[in-house]
Amino acid sequence: MIELAGVTYTYPDTERAVLHGLDLSITEGIVFGIVGASGVGKSTLAKVISGFIPHSEGGELEGAVTVAGIDVAKATLLDVVSKVGLVTQNPFNQITGARFSVEEEIAFGLENLGIPRDEMIERVGAVIARFGIQELRDRSPFALSGGQQQLVAIASIVVMEPAILVMDEPTSQLDPSGTRLVFDIIDRVAEQGTTVVLLEHKLELLREHAQVVAVLAEGRIVLSGAPREVLADDRLDQWGVGSTRFTSAARAAISAELASADSAIPVSLKEAVSYFSGGRR
Amino acid sequence: MTTLYLDRPSPIHRLNPVTKLVGLLAVVLVVFALPQWWASVAILVLVMVPAAVVSGVGGRLLLVTLILAGPLLLVLIIAQGFFYPGRETILFALGALQFSLEGLLLAVGVGTRTAVLVAASVLLLLTTHPGALMTALTERGMPAKVSYVVSSTLQIIPAFRTRAESILLAQRSRGLRTRGNIVRRVRVLLPLVTPLVLGVFVDVEERSTAMEARAFGSTRSRVSYAVIPDSRGQQFSRWALILLALAVVVLSFTGVLR
Repeated sequence: MIELAGVTYTYPDTERAVLHGLDLSITEGIVFGIVGASGVGKSTLAKVISGFIPHSEGGELEGAVTVAGIDVAKATLLDVVSKVGLVTQNPFNQITGARFSVEEEIAFGLENLGIPRDEMIERVGAVIARFGIQELRDRSPFALSGGQQQLVAIASIVVMEPAILVMDEPTSQLDPSGTRLVFDIIDRVAEQGTTVVLLEHKLELLREHAQVVAVLAEGRIVLSGAPREVLADDRLDQWGVGSTRFTSAARAAISAELASADSAIPVSLKEAVSYFSGGRR
Repeated sequence: MTTLYLDRPSPIHRLNPVTKLVGLLAVVLVVFALPQWWASVAILVLVMVPAAVVSGVGGRLLLVTLILAGPLLLVLIIAQGFFYPGRETILFALGALQFSLEGLLLAVGVGTRTAVLVAASVLLLLTTHPGALMTALTERGMPAKVSYVVSSTLQIIPAFRTRAESILLAQRSRGLRTRGNIVRRVRVLLPLVTPLVLGVFVDVEERSTAMEARAFGSTRSRVSYAVIPDSRGQQFSRWALILLALAVVVLSFTGVLR
């Protein structure tokens, strides 16, 4: 579904490559989490997968990038965006300003793709219902909270029915309730068969929602696997990723000889309860 | 959103924006074809006042028109009243300056025409949602990029104003004095403009990515989601207005209406 082989990328007018010989393979229909320290190239990777690199950003891209059966380098950006949706960090900047109501904002991509009006109405109505944003339908997109704007931004991409949804830290500017809303939507989108690539700092939420997690460091994928194993890896600190609160608490308890080093390190609340209760619960 | 639009349940609000635009165009043509003051007064009394009353935006229309056209009218009256070269009837004098009836009439004539044009334009903006206007024009062939520039400007400028206020607040919390005389206020611009402009560059790049992600660069035929109601009656009215305005222009230039 998504295959990156030996990808090296250097931005225009710079000499240092952000990605160095990166290999990545993502299977269809899963939520694939990618973690990494700030500035390590997560947003760059998001743009490579969604075709904005090299089509919009320019720069020098080496290696092969295939998404949803498309060779990104050979296809046009329009070919790629009709298969791969991109949601970025800042909700405000994803509101196009081209339309005056939430409903029309969501329909904007379909208008550009020339989708027949009857189908547009059906698809927009279905996405609004699925996202539970009926009450926002007639409001100005600029009059919404950050969380609501992010939901509208995601809905505007999901309505285009991409096979792949790339989300670059979609909750970085949201409060806890907005974050929860976005992750609920991610689950619902994935349930419909869309592959979700989620570049995110919130490790505990990745543990809950992703089926596979990979670590991006030094311009390549240095670790990949089941969330439980990846998030318990003690090299995460070395890669600048940090660890979950539960993992940190367990390691502190082990250092203070308050807990056994033999048990599996917890990476979620449920595991932490079991770990600290000595398996009594 | 930066707009004059007032939402009212009036028949003028429900008119297709293109019908209102054609109406505005007809008023412009007639006003220019008939420079006599009585023609502008007739349009004001017979067209603008009833339209303002029916649309329920009369108060705002009067206010905005006065704000926009009032100062110009005042300048015209003073300039033409005192300095009109063909003065014969002197109404009063201020020292060596004489205020003439001929100058006053000329000023009132020009001022009334200006007021009609301003009032007709403001009425269009007060009764037409900018989104409906842009959709209607795009349906008739206006490039989507032009529509985007107008729509986004109306919506994003208030957001930038809010950001500028936040930057100023942040600067003041760090000790920057933003109040005082004109020199101090000008000095404040630099610490305001730099982060504002840099922020705008980032915004533009991110928004352009969002636009491309929604296939804005598509060469396929666009389909409009919103439909602006139109009717045979309105189509007929538009042609009638155009023909009427052209007839007035022809009659005026041939001397029949002068």
